[in-house]
Amino acid sequence: MEYIFHLAILIALFSIFAVSLDLVAGYTGLISVCQAAFYGIGAYTTALLMQNMGLNFFLALLAGMLLTGLVALILGLVFSKFKGDYYVLGTVAFTYIAYSVFINWQSLTGGPLGIPGIPRPELFGFSFSSSFSFLLLAVAFLGAVYVGARFIVSSPFGRVLRAIREDEEAISVFGYRTSFYKLLIFIISTMIAALGGGLLASYLTYIDPGTFSITESIFVLAIVVLGGLGSLRGPVLGALILVLLPEALRFVGFSPDIAAQMRVLIYGLLLVIMMRYRPQGLVGEYKL
Amino acid sequence: MDVLIQIILNSVIAGSIYALAAMGFNLIYGVSRSFNLAHGVFASVAVYAVFFLAVQHAILLPIAIALGIFVAVFLGYVLERSIFRPLRAKRASNLVLLIASLGASIVVEALIAIFFSSQFQTLSSVVPSFGAVRIFGGVLTGVQVVMIVSAPLVLALFWLMLSHTRFGKAVRAVSDDEEVAKIVGINTNAIIGVVFMIGAGVMGVAGILTGFDTGLDPRMGFLLLLGAAIASIIGGTGNVYGAFLGAFILGFAENFGVFFVSGEWKYAIAFSVLILFLLFRPQGILGKK
Amino acid sequence: MNYALQTKNLSKVFGGVHAVDHLSISILKGKITGIIGPNGSGKTTLTNVLTGFHEIDGGVVAVSAEKEHERINSYEVRSLGMTRTFQNIRVFEQMSVLDNILVVLTERGVFASLFQAHGAFHESQAQSVLMRVGLWEKRHENAANLSYGQRKLLEIARALAVNADIIFFDEPYAGLFPEMVKLVSTIMQELRDTGKTVVLIEHDMALIRELCDHVIVLEAGTLLAEGKPEEVLSNSKVIEAYLGA
Repeated sequence: MEYIFHLAILIALFSIFAVSLDLVAGYTGLISVCQAAFYGIGAYTTALLMQNMGLNFFLALLAGMLLTGLVALILGLVFSKFKGDYYVLGTVAFTYIAYSVFINWQSLTGGPLGIPGIPRPELFGFSFSSSFSFLLLAVAFLGAVYVGARFIVSSPFGRVLRAIREDEEAISVFGYRTSFYKLLIFIISTMIAALGGGLLASYLTYIDPGTFSITESIFVLAIVVLGGLGSLRGPVLGALILVLLPEALRFVGFSPDIAAQMRVLIYGLLLVIMMRYRPQGLVGEYKL
Repeated sequence: MDVLIQIILNSVIAGSIYALAAMGFNLIYGVSRSFNLAHGVFASVAVYAVFFLAVQHAILLPIAIALGIFVAVFLGYVLERSIFRPLRAKRASNLVLLIASLGASIVVEALIAIFFSSQFQTLSSVVPSFGAVRIFGGVLTGVQVVMIVSAPLVLALFWLMLSHTRFGKAVRAVSDDEEVAKIVGINTNAIIGVVFMIGAGVMGVAGILTGFDTGLDPRMGFLLLLGAAIASIIGGTGNVYGAFLGAFILGFAENFGVFFVSGEWKYAIAFSVLILFLLFRPQGILGKK
Repeated sequence: MNYALQTKNLSKVFGGVHAVDHLSISILKGKITGIIGPNGSGKTTLTNVLTGFHEIDGGVVAVSAEKEHERINSYEVRSLGMTRTFQNIRVFEQMSVLDNILVVLTERGVFASLFQAHGAFHESQAQSVLMRVGLWEKRHENAANLSYGQRKLLEIARALAVNADIIFFDEPYAGLFPEMVKLVSTIMQELRDTGKTVVLIEHDMALIRELCDHVIVLEAGTLLAEGKPEEVLSNSKVIEAYLGA
């Protein structure tokens, strides 16, 4: 039972990451490969504030989201100059820079050793230390994220985002300063990712830079691509499949190291197959 | 003084390897108009083939090297035929090609890790020892000398090919405008296929040399690819000579940067250079606006 | 004379070549002005400069004789009372026909658009323009699934929706069936009758003759001739420019 809760929590957390990425990638057409860097900033901030300052999880989480939003604001001003392939490369670059900071700013982040012993959330004396209670918390947050994302994408703002994705120049001539739109959705997206990151840190009780490497950013992208860009059900479905599929391998009897590589193999292969045969993903509404 | 000389030498070594990686990458970009993020795997498969043959099966090194390069070229052909050509035929967008190539890249990387483990390994047991060379107080190993020599050599070969052969003329035509090239009767698919194989072969050489110089792990190809991509953007995408120039700029920026901060920040420095170029000169140094 | 738009010494240079070369023209308010000229004469470049797609390299643009602009950003075009269609169709392909219209009716501010209610007013506006071009039945289709002509009409509907004072039509007739051609002509005449300024870039001289009040002929980015259609089209310089090329 514990194991099932564990998987369900991972699915919920990766659904949050995937939904957050879909807001920029699927709805705005900005294929970003740096989502892990942002949930990393959220995770580190939350973890450090809880450990070093004894801050309550929910306050630490909020601080993590705000800091991430601030980084995204600055970075978004830079990224708004990029388009298409160059945008992708720019985001890859940021993932590496963030990873360098996580691993090299040892006095703060603990470097490659990471941060152990991160506490579980507590609220009014109740601790979410059991898997089941944490699952409820994660699902509640996923629900809130989903509703929020649904509100954004079905608002007129969301419609402008889709128009930016389709033809940024054409929509701008109708009076929209597209860079503001891109910046705002980028900030929203990274703050949602940071929310998931804080939850992840508290759930795992241990984080290290490897949790936020480019491989993880690509994994989140694979979830969205598999489930379907430009839909909100897609990322959740993708997270469900891509979290469970590698687990099946463990039952087949691969060693943990091989199983970890098999997981990478599977989502790499899925990226190729989806691009080749079904670029809109399983239930997606946007064809790259 | 000696420190400065050594930094310069290190910059030239890094620049040479990036140049080998970037020239092929950029030539492929020129004809296919999309970044091939799977370019790094050509380096990885070549060097792992050498590792498999020479270290694990004691096959003569020159034969192992030749086979290693062949494996890279063959993989170049396979990827082009199985992924890029069908996607081009579907008129898939650049982003589709980019994501598909990223997927292919991590598939090959994972396969290598599964068969050879993800641990760092060396070729030291079979590396030919030419002894060390001392220049102006700096030290170069034999392998590093080979690196420094092969980069301009390959550049010269590219120049000869592009400017003095019918094939090179066709490559330039496809780079300028694929549609027009098709109309005048150039088999663009064949040209792109051969360019992929050439680029893969040169990348294979870069991978093998890196393996001799430092060692190998499944990630090395992707890191070389990123160096190649940064160098190409610095120099000007699609331009082989620009890639060469960009590679040395990157090599110097990295090594001088590392001297002032510290070694761990190498990637942060490289990617900061990339972001600066994307911001202020996205067409690169030799690129036209 | 009442002008909707004037350019003074307007220039646009691409790689040393003047695509628009110190051009001074005036567009009459409430009239249909045709812009013609051989291929490469600078018609579309002029439209692109006026609608903020290209930076102005020299000279100024005066809209409604109020203010002279040395620079027009594409997002300012709407507030200057202008809109346009594109020579190569640029509808939002992977969005529904209705969304293609609603999106240009959205509030301009980022936050305003986030919390804007889906006004029934906008929906009725969208309905009326879509019905005008006969696409209301298709409102839930993706624009990508429409035929070429329908997408061209959708673009025209989108331009109508924003209720601009000056509308640039960049070769709106290319590839249309005869009944669609008639519809587009009627729409332009209606726009003129309601006081709008129409700028029509077109190759079909019969249409130019039929619709335009004033014709401007460009060659190599400069003004070759202008005047009433019948005068201009019988001008020997103009005939030469078209045939001599």
